[in-house]
Amino acid sequence: MNHREQYAPGPASGAQIRKDGEKWTLILVRELRHSPEKIWQALTDPAHLREWAPFDADRSLNAVGTTVKLTTVGAPALHVSETTVTRADAPRILEYTWGDFDMRWELQAFAGGTRLTLWTNIGRRFIAMGAAGWHICFDVLDHLLSGTPLGRMVGPDAIKFGGWQRLNAEYAKQFAIEMTGPPSQAAENS
Amino acid sequence: MKIKVMSVFVNDQNKALRFYTEVLGFTKKTDFSQGPFRWLTVASPEEPNGTELQLALNDNPAAKTYQQAIFQQGQPAAMFYTDDIQADYERMKSRGAEFTMPPTDVTASKIAMVNDTCGNIIQLSELANHSR
Repeated sequence: MNHREQYAPGPASGAQIRKDGEKWTLILVRELRHSPEKIWQALTDPAHLREWAPFDADRSLNAVGTTVKLTTVGAPALHVSETTVTRADAPRILEYTWGDFDMRWELQAFAGGTRLTLWTNIGRRFIAMGAAGWHICFDVLDHLLSGTPLGRMVGPDAIKFGGWQRLNAEYAKQFAIEMTGPPSQAAENS
Repeated sequence: MKIKVMSVFVNDQNKALRFYTEVLGFTKKTDFSQGPFRWLTVASPEEPNGTELQLALNDNPAAKTYQQAIFQQGQPAAMFYTDDIQADYERMKSRGAEFTMPPTDVTASKIAMVNDTCGNIIQLSELANHSR
């Protein structure tokens, strides 16, 4: 795809980590030049999620109490988890779980767009990987809503991509943590 | 077609990594994650490119029921072969392993059973006719 060939992610930015006991939370902030309504749809509608998110949903995440199956995409084994939407205040706050992780999305309108914030739990060793992965997902989301789709980049597609490697290293440096690499690298580090 | 990876369900992947590397003596092979999914495998240092053992998080209710039932029956979830079961038994015990069966002679082999601390019994076997 033409847009995809030209795509190179920007520098690592907008990410923080928070530690609460043994629980780690990754907080990602991204400003997007799209309306909260448009982003809300991309966060909740299965057809939109399929274009950018690291999971597929079998129904909309748009309503509180809905039970939705989330399937991890690109993982080496099928991983499906069932979630219940615990908060869906369109187009502002969306909360559900992904496996054992809490997911909280907040959409704040600002001049000309939306400040999107994601809080998600993550294993300590995988914080930089997660930040790099979401960074690329947000870029893919941005392009999708701008009408210049890159195509979803998750799992092995993302890891093989040079931009991911660079972001992983940059976020690891920002968070001052030991870097965890993709499979081959993880094996060497052991 | 080859047998490249086999899986055991574990109820805690960090604890499992500790047991399968520090106590059992395997080495970590791959470890990466995507959201709540974590792909974690170990391999034997005697066969670093041999079959990998995936330590899969058991977050599946059906698999939990199965795992608990076979654990209660004392059935092993996996079986590993060793050239010297007595030495492995003593090495692992000194690292805190809890054996549910010490090395015991059975038909054509000597076996031992150990609790992996993550919901499974693991069997170790040494073939009786094994020539050292």
